[in-house]
Amino acid sequence: MQPFDYLIPKDHAEASALLAAGGGSVRPFMGGTDFLIRARGGFIRPQSVVDLKVLPGMREIRQSPDGWLVIGAACTMNQVAAHPLVLAGYDLLAQACNSVASYQLRNRATIGGNCCNASPAADTAPALFCLDAVAETYGPAGARRIPIADFFVGPGRSALQLGEFLTAIHLPPAPTGACGAFNKLGRTKLGDISAVSVAVYAWEHDTETPRRDWRIALGAVGPTPLRAPEAEAALAADASPQGVQRAAELTAAAARPIDDIRASAAYRRAMVAVLARRGIEAVLAGIARAGLQAVPFGGVPAGSVSPTGVLREGRPEQMIGGAA
Amino acid sequence: MTRDQESGARSQESASSFQLPASNRKHSLIGTSPQRIEGRAKVTGAATYVDDMQFGPNLLHGMLKHSPIPHGIIVRIDVSKARALPGVRVVVTGEDFPGYTGLYLKDRRIFALDRVRYVGDTIAAVAADTPEIAQQAVDLIEVEFEPLPGVFDPEFGASPEAPLIHPELGNYEAVPFIFPQPGTNVSNWMKVRKGDMDKGWAEADLVYEHKYRVPHIQHVPLETHVCVAQQDVNGKITLWSSSQSPFAQRNLIAKALHISHSKLRVITPYVGGGFGCKAGVSMEGAAVALAMNAKGRPVKLRMTREEEFYTTFVRQGLVAIIKMGMTQEGRITAVHNRFYWDGGASTEYGTNITRAAGYSGTGPYYVPNIHIDSLCVYTNHPVGGAMRGFGMPEIHWGIEQHIDQMAEKLGLDPVQVRLINCLKDGDETLTGMIMHPTGLSQCIQKAAEAIGWTSPPAPLLEGEGSHKRRGKGLAAMWKAPAMPPNPGSSAIVRMNEDGTATVSIGGVDIGQGALTAMAQLAAEGLGVKIEDVRVNTVDTDYSPYEWQTVASRLTWSMGNAVLQAAENAKLQILQTVAEAWNEDINDLDIIDGQVVSYRSEESRSLRDIAVYGMQRPDGTWIGGPVLGRGNFMPEYVTPLDPETGQGPRAVVHFTTGCQAVEVEVDEETGEVQVLKIVSAYDVGRAINPDMVRTQMEGGAVQGMSTALLEGIILQNGVPRNPNFTDYRIATAVDAPLELESIIVEVPQDDGPFGARGVGEHPMVPTAPAIANAVYNAVGIRIDSMPITSEKVWRELAKTRP
Repeated sequence: MQPFDYLIPKDHAEASALLAAGGGSVRPFMGGTDFLIRARGGFIRPQSVVDLKVLPGMREIRQSPDGWLVIGAACTMNQVAAHPLVLAGYDLLAQACNSVASYQLRNRATIGGNCCNASPAADTAPALFCLDAVAETYGPAGARRIPIADFFVGPGRSALQLGEFLTAIHLPPAPTGACGAFNKLGRTKLGDISAVSVAVYAWEHDTETPRRDWRIALGAVGPTPLRAPEAEAALAADASPQGVQRAAELTAAAARPIDDIRASAAYRRAMVAVLARRGIEAVLAGIARAGLQAVPFGGVPAGSVSPTGVLREGRPEQMIGGAA
Repeated sequence: MTRDQESGARSQESASSFQLPASNRKHSLIGTSPQRIEGRAKVTGAATYVDDMQFGPNLLHGMLKHSPIPHGIIVRIDVSKARALPGVRVVVTGEDFPGYTGLYLKDRRIFALDRVRYVGDTIAAVAADTPEIAQQAVDLIEVEFEPLPGVFDPEFGASPEAPLIHPELGNYEAVPFIFPQPGTNVSNWMKVRKGDMDKGWAEADLVYEHKYRVPHIQHVPLETHVCVAQQDVNGKITLWSSSQSPFAQRNLIAKALHISHSKLRVITPYVGGGFGCKAGVSMEGAAVALAMNAKGRPVKLRMTREEEFYTTFVRQGLVAIIKMGMTQEGRITAVHNRFYWDGGASTEYGTNITRAAGYSGTGPYYVPNIHIDSLCVYTNHPVGGAMRGFGMPEIHWGIEQHIDQMAEKLGLDPVQVRLINCLKDGDETLTGMIMHPTGLSQCIQKAAEAIGWTSPPAPLLEGEGSHKRRGKGLAAMWKAPAMPPNPGSSAIVRMNEDGTATVSIGGVDIGQGALTAMAQLAAEGLGVKIEDVRVNTVDTDYSPYEWQTVASRLTWSMGNAVLQAAENAKLQILQTVAEAWNEDINDLDIIDGQVVSYRSEESRSLRDIAVYGMQRPDGTWIGGPVLGRGNFMPEYVTPLDPETGQGPRAVVHFTTGCQAVEVEVDEETGEVQVLKIVSAYDVGRAINPDMVRTQMEGGAVQGMSTALLEGIILQNGVPRNPNFTDYRIATAVDAPLELESIIVEVPQDDGPFGARGVGEHPMVPTAPAIANAVYNAVGIRIDSMPITSEKVWRELAKTRP
């Protein structure tokens, strides 16, 4: 690996200025788990890196006064997945974080880095799509907020401009009765890049009617992570077993997969339907379970086994679509 | 069998002069499982590997320039810019070292000279002050190619239409048992012809042919290839090498560079795994070539993980066309097998794999009528070399699935079909060798019983309504040590002043536990405690000769040498004591480091006598430093007829065994979860049963990994997954939920205490056993490895309306 300089910025403005002045040759640096592979392989040859972890707030998880959850961009996967506020209201995100790579890598890999690499297979992305996350950035023009769906532009391309970097992920307050399930399929049970991933999320529409709203988001089956709005609408109207099957098929229809060495497009599309159906069924089961328990506020009780039956750490209790 | 009978059968020399009553052997270390003697150093991180060794600020860093194209003429190499880069000390190319090298067929150069033959072929090497400068220099080397059409399939490669990859094949030097076909891409044609094929087909009630495929596999050792070479002022070269074969490296490199064996010293400290890829020579020659021009500075060459995947050795690919005849009762009447090996750009090592596939080509079965062609084919793919199993996992992938297919078509139980046909004591093998006593039938029966062959599968993990289906499968195997007829082992046992023993060997502990097994054999042979035995790692200047750490041969071959050396040392000690005490040597023994007399009931610690000797009653001295020596070389292997493959004794012996597995297949995703693998092997005698079981467990997991996940994806010769991102291997969470290992012991007549090897065998039948279990579960047959989820899903989709 060719040597490069390691820079510690004194504040956001200096970080932005350094990144802007260097063009492509100065790279933002957080966990480094993807960066080092690329630098070592010669795919990027940076002159220097700017360590953004050191900036204020980058490694903090807090609740804002208006009830939103603010996750600093440099929070590690393990930090996010174990945080009480995440577990209390956003179990879906904890599931996704826990599925990334291995435990050791999750001590380094950051949620912000996962987004900024803009891989269509980013495992946290489908969860963040379901949760209507908003990315907060800082750049030469100051701070701005970008809906997560607009943050992912194409394979390896995010909405970040020159000199701009991700500072936080904002999640709206968890709605009542929320429940989510994240499933992914890789070649091995642990540590593989997802060939397909599907996040499913549901919550109570309002307290007056029994209707539920749904979100379904997909990874690794398009140029960016993507939603399946037709399936979401169909499910809101009909969550019977037939409705679930139809929603799964509509989810598969929303996928735009390609052939590569990890999987064929046909297999990916078929697996979207399988994982979507399993995710929906897991969410329905989770809602039924939560209904029997006293849930303090929205979501699955903290510390419980997630609806997929996947334990938070260690060996999966059951193998569902290879998710672990 | 008692130990006395064995040592008598094994060696006249060391055991002739004294006999020990069997009752005195109750303290035997054989069949016990002391902890690994190097285990503490390894798990604490204290063990030193080549990359840990410190060479000071003079160390130069080597790097190789690899070919980016699979086949082409080298029109021009310009190294002037690389040489001019500050910090670059050495640049060497094929013009500096034009000679050929190779283990069985000299078809390889250290650096490509006139043409490149695969993506990754070494064109030049650089040594520089830092790795970064070396990388820059490699990038500055300009190479102009005239691309040539490539060969990317062994069947095509063997055809007359294929472009020639080695037009000089006819000029290459080969060992006598390799048969290159000049003017073709076939570098070895191993033939087996026996019986009357027409008769065999006529007797069959079913004749069935099917084609099976195996991809290239990488060994994936934890430690990649690494070595340091340095030339001293007298021209002597020292090579510190992570190697399975310090002596073979010395031999091959010395010959390739036309230097004396005594001027090349190879030192091998602890090795972080090999699985065959560190047998023979791959990149080490380039390091020596750099050192010869480095003016005394040491040069380190270390493969990156990416380089490890395709520039050292890989397991050869295989296309196997298997045709078999069987009677209604399940008796095999004839076999016609064609093995097209994807040997890669050089087959210096791989030719012998194709020979082994020939003389083992029926699988472990008695077959009266046989026609086998095993063809080693040059392709523009990575270079094939040894890997755990040496051709056997590849051929058994087809053979063992074929047996199941035949059985099913005839409505027979596959276990019964294997029991009917499997080789038994005294049967004639396909090459005309008489099968020695073997526990193969026992292994098949025990594996089938342990998996619950006749009982229905256990309930599903997820209960009723699940999309999962369970199935069981089984496969048998055999494998002989594949090697030249006369590979030698030797050992030295030296006594120290405190009565401990130092054992010198030339074989390498690559994780299999050889150091511990040798310590057990030496302690047993000498009569001391195992903690009083030290076993050295290899330094060719001080260690006795060993051919290579391959072929599952160390426990058997090197074990014989070590036991003989220990007994030789014991004999020297007892002769001294007998004279000093004026006793009959047959009344003396050594137990736990004490010389004892059963007649006079005297005893004396070795501490006092093993170096300084003993005083006679008249005050004079006898004895002196004790130095035991032992060697072993099989003397009975015969050549095989080149046209028929027939001969009295093709190999030293076969280790046999069987694996049975239970799987759960997800019908929706195609995922295969291996629930249980039962391994049963006839190891002759387990010197250390725990380590035998760990071999079985490790082999089963590696076999499972290759069965379900592994394979180098080559597109027009370009490796697409030379990294851990896309070459996936099984981790602990992918391993079978349960592993059971069964040791069967039918003694080997010339093994130490009856032992024979088992290092490679446990991954040989795993893949076909899993394939058979998948068929049993969901009714689809995957004939090309690996059994990926997507392949299972695709085949299942075909069966649905």
